[in-house]
Amino acid sequence: MTTNAVPMSQWPSEHRYTIPVAPGPETVTVTIDGRAAQIPRGELLIKAAQDHGTYIPRFCWHERLKPVGMCRMCLVEIEGMRGLQISCATPVADGMVVHTTSDAVTTAQDGILEFLLINHPLDCPVCDRGGECPLQDQTLAFGPGESRFVEEKRHFEKPVPISDLVMLDRERCIQCGRCTRFADEVAGDPLIDFGGRGGSTEVITYLDEPFHSSFSGNTVQICPVGALTARPYRFRARPWDLASTETSCGACAVACRGSLESTSNRLVRLLGVDSEPVNQGWLCDKGRYGLDWVHSDARLRQPMVRRAGELVESSWPDALDAAAAAIRNTLDTHGPNGIAVLGGSRGVNEDAYLWARLAKGVLGTDHVDAQLGDGLPADVVLGMPRATIPDLDRAKAIVLLAPDLKEELPVLYLRVRRAAHDLGVPLVDVAVRDHGLTPYATAVLRHAPGDPGAAAGVVADALVGRPGRTKVGKAIVDATDGRDGPVVVILGRTSVAEHPDAIVHAASRLTGLPQVRFLSALANPNVHGALDLGLTPGFLPGRVSLDAGRDHFTKAWGAVPDAVGRDAAGILRAAATGEIAALVLVGCDPLAECPDRNLARAALEQADTVIAVSAFMDTAAFGATVVLPPTVWGEQSATTTNLEGRVVRLGRRVTPDGSTLESWRIPAELAARLGSDFDLETVDEVQDEIARVAPAFAGVDASLLRRARDGVVLPLADHADEVTFGRAGAGPGPSWEPILPVPEVVGDDDRSPSTSASDSPSAAVPAPTPPVPLHRWDAPPDAPSVPPLDAYALRLVAGHALYGADAIVAATPALASLTHEPTLGLNARDRDRLGVHDGDRVRITTARGSVDLAVRTDAQTPPGTAWIVANAAGPGAPDLIDLTSPVTELRVETIS
Amino acid sequence: MGRLSGFRVTITQVFRPRVTEKFPQEKRPKPPRFHGRHVLNRYEDGMEKCIGCELCAGVCPAQCIYVRGADNLTDAPVSPGERYGFVYEINYLRCIHCDLCVEACPTEAITETKLFEFSFARRQDAIYTKDELLVDDEGRARRQPWELWLGGEDDETSAWMRATSSSGNAAYENRVAWSGELGFGVREPERGQGGDPGALPAPDQGGVS
Repeated sequence: MTTNAVPMSQWPSEHRYTIPVAPGPETVTVTIDGRAAQIPRGELLIKAAQDHGTYIPRFCWHERLKPVGMCRMCLVEIEGMRGLQISCATPVADGMVVHTTSDAVTTAQDGILEFLLINHPLDCPVCDRGGECPLQDQTLAFGPGESRFVEEKRHFEKPVPISDLVMLDRERCIQCGRCTRFADEVAGDPLIDFGGRGGSTEVITYLDEPFHSSFSGNTVQICPVGALTARPYRFRARPWDLASTETSCGACAVACRGSLESTSNRLVRLLGVDSEPVNQGWLCDKGRYGLDWVHSDARLRQPMVRRAGELVESSWPDALDAAAAAIRNTLDTHGPNGIAVLGGSRGVNEDAYLWARLAKGVLGTDHVDAQLGDGLPADVVLGMPRATIPDLDRAKAIVLLAPDLKEELPVLYLRVRRAAHDLGVPLVDVAVRDHGLTPYATAVLRHAPGDPGAAAGVVADALVGRPGRTKVGKAIVDATDGRDGPVVVILGRTSVAEHPDAIVHAASRLTGLPQVRFLSALANPNVHGALDLGLTPGFLPGRVSLDAGRDHFTKAWGAVPDAVGRDAAGILRAAATGEIAALVLVGCDPLAECPDRNLARAALEQADTVIAVSAFMDTAAFGATVVLPPTVWGEQSATTTNLEGRVVRLGRRVTPDGSTLESWRIPAELAARLGSDFDLETVDEVQDEIARVAPAFAGVDASLLRRARDGVVLPLADHADEVTFGRAGAGPGPSWEPILPVPEVVGDDDRSPSTSASDSPSAAVPAPTPPVPLHRWDAPPDAPSVPPLDAYALRLVAGHALYGADAIVAATPALASLTHEPTLGLNARDRDRLGVHDGDRVRITTARGSVDLAVRTDAQTPPGTAWIVANAAGPGAPDLIDLTSPVTELRVETIS
Repeated sequence: MGRLSGFRVTITQVFRPRVTEKFPQEKRPKPPRFHGRHVLNRYEDGMEKCIGCELCAGVCPAQCIYVRGADNLTDAPVSPGERYGFVYEINYLRCIHCDLCVEACPTEAITETKLFEFSFARRQDAIYTKDELLVDDEGRARRQPWELWLGGEDDETSAWMRATSSSGNAAYENRVAWSGELGFGVREPERGQGGDPGALPAPDQGGVS
């Protein structure tokens, strides 16, 4: 035994078999293959070696999962310890001397690989993993080269579906447990586990419950062999066919980083890239498999113009001329207030900015709204003190005033779950009904739909140490006692069936808390970018109000509107009465997205001119005067803003079919035809103009965005120290761990942690102060008056399902099958009171309209309320909701 | 005879043995390892050998092969196993007949005939699709209208496997052999070029386990 070895009993035990979330500042000296390194105490040896350029082979260990030590591939020799140790479950200790390539180690690795290959079929040519397989790679690099095994291998039925998206090939499984651990530890859906013993161990699902998880695709990505394959990608390409581009997912507002891969100009795969502040390598299934819609036959490839009552295909110059003529015509007859621009929350930053500039700077209308009554007031979103996702991990408490994150923002759900479940951050759940995060909540407060104010008041009091008389108040005080850090409030539309004032009022009761920050839970992919860039009434690009930014933007643009315009509800009402004659729909379909479908229908029917910028022939485009098809996600490089206000780049991977126009060129071309040339040639020039003109974007120019690894959080002045450059630290590759090239070593001891790839220094980013002070939300509204509960009626709660009726799901065959018919979710008590059974069709009537739906018993829905998914196809919640009423009361009658 | 003396060369040529062949009508036999136009082989039961693994496309230095795999239908499989070659195309305007595709193929699905006499008036004809490459029920190449087959060129489609290294070591000298195990034109394995000259190498069994 050498003198510097530390007995195992003295090792820090608290980190064994746990993720060392934040190894302390104290470092120890460890010698790995003759190179000494300073490593934080408690770091696992395998990770420490990787950070310092020594790759230890592994199958079961994954950076984001707890170590289990199942595969035994990461054996190393540690001086002074008997036998070989698994480096994935061994924390470093001071003076440790480690050998990773000694004879004993290589012999052991040879043996492990030979044993693994005993039962692993050599069907690599058929296997989707072949060519990017850790087992292939490591057998080549560390294995014996020859097999002595001549006996029959074990056989199972070849692929069995364990869910609608994932196939399991049990022959190939090496029992590393990555998938089962992911499902249990990270996703919180422990629906798969090992069954059997010894050689017949296999991954199984429960008999009556397939692996229905919104995160199942991640198990395919982290599987170190081809045991789990994704049905949408199955056999569509081989790794050497693929070309990849780093991008951000465009399915929701989290904007997870991913590697977008294509072959033959078709998008075939999106793999999660480990972006520490955002998605940490994970993706949801909707984002991961929502690719085929880009190539759908239903996509519009040619602009269309209505001639003699019929929409006919046209050339771009003709269509743009027609659109410009229609706009000019409306300007002449109705003035600027006769035109409104709706939508933009599914686009990119560049087109949002240029639509705002076209509407507000050229047309002079402020009737612009990116949200269709399904969001929060821009005053709140733009002015509230904003949190970032990493704030969740160090929060004093997290307060949920949001819809079901598991359905609407799945990867944010993973981060909140990690903070609450793994890192012990108290989670306060204020909601009407139970949802995906309820099991992890420290305190659960339930309130009647439309009335979250009182519950928020209890939380606000408890978070400053006043428990009140309630049990939850005491629970919150106990859980947060002695904790530091910000209070992060996740704020979104809990239900689109109630007026947003209710949730805004609840949020306003929390604004007085010390260090309170808000994380927006609006779900549309670029809704935050659209709001930040002025696609909302009363604001100009860069989070400044119309009045505050008037001088600045008059200088930059030449003109801005005189008065604050109408929001989406106001625009639709004005269009329905004929006050607004022309509607420009930027990538939105009010009939599908607006919670009040009757209002949207009236508006579209009444409007003289509808110019639809739409990739699909949706119902809005169907009645349009001019239809302009833009390029979409994956076809253009651009930037998007996620719910933190983080601006990230989107990559271009495929060339669009047909003749679509880059989405930001459409407003620029229209402006040129209306007499004001923006003089913008490239997307970089647009980004530079945004950085120059929009105050919140000051300093966030094309060059910074290109270099910043995890994007830039707005405003740059507050977050300049968070910008990092260079290669991602955690998880070197997107899908597996390729064997890292060992970097050239200059000296023996100059590889201190500060120079390693994981924490490359954030160079000083110049952060100019915004020229105009940014908007602040400081006027909490009065409590909205909520009618008392009606004992005979049910109160509607409507939220969005992950697989709704949007274009991504509808035009992607793999996801379209996952959608459900809308149903009326009722508590068992209400169901029995009404005398109906599951599957019975009932007529639901509100003051606004009536629909027929089937009844489904829903344990999550409390008595007195009813749950309907708002974004399902066909008749549903939008036919029942009135945007102006504080809550939606509905009556149910049976139909025979 | 002064007049005829001018024809001396001509007359001597008349009595010399003829070296010219009536090429289109007759062809010289080709060497056994000649690389001609490819065929996609089938098993005796009619199943295709190609599993759509794209190793041929991956190794092709001229990038003339385009393959896409697809899931085999469980009730009517095209090839053994889960995957089959759904699209298989070779662009003969690019192919350099290096035979690396044949060596890469794990199932000996692709081999080469001795036919090289094919020319095209249209570019589309130069891109051979799977229907054109796949052998018929007899195991013989399907003859295209623009190809000049005289017989014998599709007799020996067995593949000559060179001594390429399987483990990435350029100095490694493997045994060389006729691969055997083919749908048509099976030949006895030859002796290897390295190692024991007396022992016949076992034919490479190929295929997937």
